[in-house]
Amino acid sequence: MLVEETLKRIQSQNGVQGIIIINSEGIPIKTTLDNASTVQYAGLIHQLVMKARSTVRDIDPQNDLTFLRIRSKKNEIMIAPDKDYFLIVIQNPSD
Amino acid sequence: TVSVAPTSSGDGLRPETGSVHSAEAEVQTLSTAVSWTQTQPHDEAQELLLQPAADRLDPPGLKAFLQRVEDTVIRELDRNGRSHAFDEFQVNWEDQSQPVSCLHCLQHPSAQERGLHVTSVSWSCTGSVIACAFGRTDDGDWITEPSCVCTWNLDRRGLNPKQADLVIDVATAVTALCCHPQQPALIAGGLYSGEVVVWDTSRTQDPVLVQTGMSADSHREPVYQVAWVPLQKAGEFGVLSACSGGRVLLWTGDLNEGRFVLNAAYALVPQQVPHSSYVSFKARGSSTVGVTSLALSPWDPDTFLVGSEGGLLLRCSFSSQTPAAVPSEGHNVTLRAPAVFVFRPRSGPVHSIHCSPFHRNLFVSAGTDGRAHLHSLLQADPLLSLRVSDSSVFQVQWSPSRPLVFAAAAAQGEVHIFDLGRRSLRPAATIEQGGADQAATCLAFNSQNSHLLALGRTNGTVCIWQLSHDLTEQSPREISQLEQIANQVAA
Repeated sequence: MLVEETLKRIQSQNGVQGIIIINSEGIPIKTTLDNASTVQYAGLIHQLVMKARSTVRDIDPQNDLTFLRIRSKKNEIMIAPDKDYFLIVIQNPSD
Repeated sequence: TVSVAPTSSGDGLRPETGSVHSAEAEVQTLSTAVSWTQTQPHDEAQELLLQPAADRLDPPGLKAFLQRVEDTVIRELDRNGRSHAFDEFQVNWEDQSQPVSCLHCLQHPSAQERGLHVTSVSWSCTGSVIACAFGRTDDGDWITEPSCVCTWNLDRRGLNPKQADLVIDVATAVTALCCHPQQPALIAGGLYSGEVVVWDTSRTQDPVLVQTGMSADSHREPVYQVAWVPLQKAGEFGVLSACSGGRVLLWTGDLNEGRFVLNAAYALVPQQVPHSSYVSFKARGSSTVGVTSLALSPWDPDTFLVGSEGGLLLRCSFSSQTPAAVPSEGHNVTLRAPAVFVFRPRSGPVHSIHCSPFHRNLFVSAGTDGRAHLHSLLQADPLLSLRVSDSSVFQVQWSPSRPLVFAAAAAQGEVHIFDLGRRSLRPAATIEQGGADQAATCLAFNSQNSHLLALGRTNGTVCIWQLSHDLTEQSPREISQLEQIANQVAA
């Protein structure tokens, strides 16, 4: 399955701890984490992406959000947004 | 139905209820229906997760979406893994102005009047209670002056620094103290008379739970260190005590009798110290290796480290079977010689040893030479020697939260906190409070609240210091830095 292969390729990158795909409503479609964490990430990140996107578009209506990265002490969360889905990857770069 | 009619009189002075109107009617149900409802546990997680079920069809557009983003995401992940952009980058969300600040200064007036020093401090396993032992550390003669053990609960609202929450009177000076690692009410103590006692602070009457008494088995010299040792059965602990007579004894408590039973006994004699080119045998004159410090390894339950009055630093094993070369003194248990390895000796007594909670091979030791020595269990020479003070160092302890940090208390009263991650070998922070009459005799980090450090002094005060964020928050590469230091062992 092309989808599974793609996820495997991403998972095999250095330090990747988890991958979640959510749809435009914030409902998880695919995940490599446990259910409870997935639901938590999905809800919180969906809100954050919507806020980030509206921030970018408010500053310049011709612009739009292409990628979002949140760096914390313990890891980094990368989000690739799109019309129908968001891809969320959690990576610990020093692993 | 009943209703109260308003008064009809205009003056309103004499409210009167008017006449009540009533009527009668009959009602009967013609048809009935029964129904019930019940809530079921709602597993939201299951509900929301739309995993493709039996048909295994992915939602429309998912494949195309992934094809669009895959390359970008993999490129970013790869770059991020190799990036050094954020290597030393740290953000401080907490507000801190000073590296160390004094929170409380606890005193027990009656102990201070008698000129007692604080000999040992220990935090309870919950992190809220600090137990302090009083006694004298300098007099060489037999001391019969009574002393005490005081506890303060720092989390209690009515904390009175001048009045302890609990005072346990003890017949002689208390020279060692250790709180139980799992039961907050139990405290083990070693006395100047050689006795080992466990107090149960939850008992209102007599707090003494178990004691060794003056039996043939017990120590005859001051007990300088006590420690709780996990026994074979999970949840059970014994007490290990070390005295200046060269004995290290392991006791188990017989709660019915209130006595300690000797479980294992170790005797250290100079002839049985492992052969090495170092041991110049200054200790040859004496017949015992007086133990002044003891450390258990949190990584290896069989290993313990011993420091002596003569400056010897030994690695010992609980399971050693070699009988000790001492005349039998009527002990019920055979004395064994535990020393397995000897490290480079010091010129004076080793006052303190502590094993690193973050690396199995590292430990730090300090004594009268005024230096803190970082050792690996794998070699005799120290990896690193840091100058702490011109005077003796009475105690060193590793931080429970930062692998590279340890604190050292010196006889001249200052306490230095070292951070091995810094390039400079000078201390990262210093607690001043000079004067030889305020020598810092003991210190203890609080493992539950890692920003608290308790410090006991010869003037009978115990100060609780708060450490800043940098000194307590572990940074991302610390463990690997510690590994690098530990791997400097010569081939």
